[in-house]
Amino acid sequence: MSTEPIAEELRDATVTRGAGGVIIELAQVDKFFGDFQALKDVNMKVGKQEVVVVIGPSGSGKSTLIRCINRLEEHDAGRIVVDGVELSNDIKAIREVRRETGMVFQQFNLFPHLTVLDNVTLAPRQVRKTPRAEAERLGRQMLEQVKIPEQADKYPAQLSGGQQQRVAIARALAMQPKVMLFDEPTSALDPEMINEVLESMKELARTGMTMIVVTHEMGFAREVADRVVFMEEGQIVEVGTAEHFFTNPSEERTKLFLSQIL
Amino acid sequence: MTAGGVTTHAGAWIRQNLFRNARDSILTVVFGALLAFLTYRALSFVLGEDWEIQRQNMRNSLVGPEISGTDLWAPVIGIWLIAAAVGVMIGALDRSQHADQPGAILDPLRPAHWRQIAYRTVARLWPVFALVVFILLLTGSTTGLLVTLAAMALAFLGRAAGVRLPLGSVRWAALATALAPIVAVLIIRFGFGIDWNDWGGFLLVAFAGAAGIALSFPLGIFLALGRRSKLPVMKGLSVAYIEFFRGVPLVVLLLIGSLVIGLFLPRSLIPSEPIRAVIIFTLFTAAYFAEVVRGGLQSLPEGQEEAAKALGLPAWRITSFIVLPQALRNVIPAIVGQSISLWKDTSLMFIIGLAEPLRLASAFTRQPEFRGQGLITLTLFFAGLIYWIVSFTMSRESQRLERKLGVGQR
Ligand SMILES: Nc1ncnc2c1ncn2[C@@H]1O[C@H](COP(=O)(O)OP(=O)(O)OP(=O)(O)O)[C@@H](O)[C@H]1O
Ligand SMILES: [Mg+2]
Repeated sequence: MSTEPIAEELRDATVTRGAGGVIIELAQVDKFFGDFQALKDVNMKVGKQEVVVVIGPSGSGKSTLIRCINRLEEHDAGRIVVDGVELSNDIKAIREVRRETGMVFQQFNLFPHLTVLDNVTLAPRQVRKTPRAEAERLGRQMLEQVKIPEQADKYPAQLSGGQQQRVAIARALAMQPKVMLFDEPTSALDPEMINEVLESMKELARTGMTMIVVTHEMGFAREVADRVVFMEEGQIVEVGTAEHFFTNPSEERTKLFLSQIL
Repeated sequence: MTAGGVTTHAGAWIRQNLFRNARDSILTVVFGALLAFLTYRALSFVLGEDWEIQRQNMRNSLVGPEISGTDLWAPVIGIWLIAAAVGVMIGALDRSQHADQPGAILDPLRPAHWRQIAYRTVARLWPVFALVVFILLLTGSTTGLLVTLAAMALAFLGRAAGVRLPLGSVRWAALATALAPIVAVLIIRFGFGIDWNDWGGFLLVAFAGAAGIALSFPLGIFLALGRRSKLPVMKGLSVAYIEFFRGVPLVVLLLIGSLVIGLFLPRSLIPSEPIRAVIIFTLFTAAYFAEVVRGGLQSLPEGQEEAAKALGLPAWRITSFIVLPQALRNVIPAIVGQSISLWKDTSLMFIIGLAEPLRLASAFTRQPEFRGQGLITLTLFFAGLIYWIVSFTMSRESQRLERKLGVGQR
């Protein structure tokens, strides 16, 4: 690609990789919890079809960052624009962004009173007004994609953690979002189940989905991430390819952190 | 299975559950003896007493002294209506739950199924059947027997119709079942023109209890949601309401009912005494339901609402599809406890002079032929028995419901 930025340019979080234009933009974003500042002047852009992995120590603001993108948290200053829609108090804008943004949580957060298929079809039916039969066809297709079509009629509690997380991915995908946000999707899982979830995510990345993934799975980052963002104390400290982080991270803090997780 | 097979099976069960070891055996014998003794005493009381007073006053106990002659058909028609509607709903439910295995659907018109349904219904509602049998035996009323058989036949036919309805009729059947008691009340009140003040006995308290529960439950949910609202006015009003009605004894509220209702309504619109009582029960119980539901709401992990929001669901759909179903399920025991509480509180209507069962029980003992014979134990026993049977049935049904909804519980 002729527009591919050179390694040096990638060190700026607002320089994107990937085929199309920018789909997510954060400019000078601040976020406070009471007196505590969880995000400090965060500037970042994500290009269409780009996969960005966010790493950083506990409490550094990774979750807060991606939760601001679908307005589960309100930012206090700066601008957040998702697919051309700026987030504000306008409830219509918020719902529009949420429709186009899927999210997968650390604790899965499946709806325990609904079957797997109902978990997956609820939003398409209620939000997109997809007719039931069509929604179920789509839902089964999504379950197929994460390789658990046979679990459609079970309840979440009857599935393993890895299966539950894959249902959560299918549930988000059923809304056919333009962006997927993952907040430590594998850190609540037993080790033997981590791979099946990562596989589903890699496959998703290969289909060209735009993804922001908070994770410390550096193998995953190396395989599919276009860029890795390192955060500390609410700030973006260092940005680069996964390779850059493995070979020659420039900041001392980054080196220290990587030495702990690798 | 052969009879011998059944015997060994039962024998194994008894060994396994009652006489597994020395301690279990001793406990079984001791409690078995105690149970046998209590059953004996209860039975010798029920069978040994002369129930003449209750026999003569059965109609009074059931519908109050003011309903007689052809008016008696009003509550009978009401019961038939409800029996048929419930039958239809159970049939439709059975059909939809076994949509993919039609062989498992019980059809009352097939003899084998007929017996199975009868057996299951009696096993499920035996206290109610025991009461009905007791009343029929005591009064020896042929009409009563025919009315009962007709009600059962209607429930069976309703169920037979229910399993023949197209799939997806459950919703309509449920609606019909919810409407049936309302229609029954309208028939009694307006079809037969029986004035509210003439309602008495168990008809009166069944109406007050059912209406109170049906109305206070949604109001309670509304208040619980209001209490969590971000709007200060909404929240403040809900809290004020809840704290007021929880803080005043129900008896006081009943006594000053017209005053309380006068706060909300112009004097000319203040309804008659029984309706006033229903309104007071509703307002009072709603405050308790609100707190019960609030507990259920708090029991939900934050992530549930967040996941629903992240999917783009609008707020009221999150509430109705995600939050409430789980919150209510988590507090079924408390909801039923509150309902039973209201049901028993209906007997407090005696303090505002209504012909509810306890007041009647004591009135019977002042009738000339029964005066001064200490028969109040009998009449109160009978009234208490009906209260207990209804409460006990509610409790059992709630446990069933819990088990059923427990599917997939985390
Ligand atoms: N709702 C909240 N109220 C108050 N403080 C909060 C809230 N949510 C997060 N914080 C604080 O903001 C900071 C950033 O939190 P955040 O959850 O974004 O960190 P994180 O990088 O995701 O950490 P972890 O790896 O532990 O998930 C933390 O210090 C946290 O205590
Ligand atoms: Mg986090």
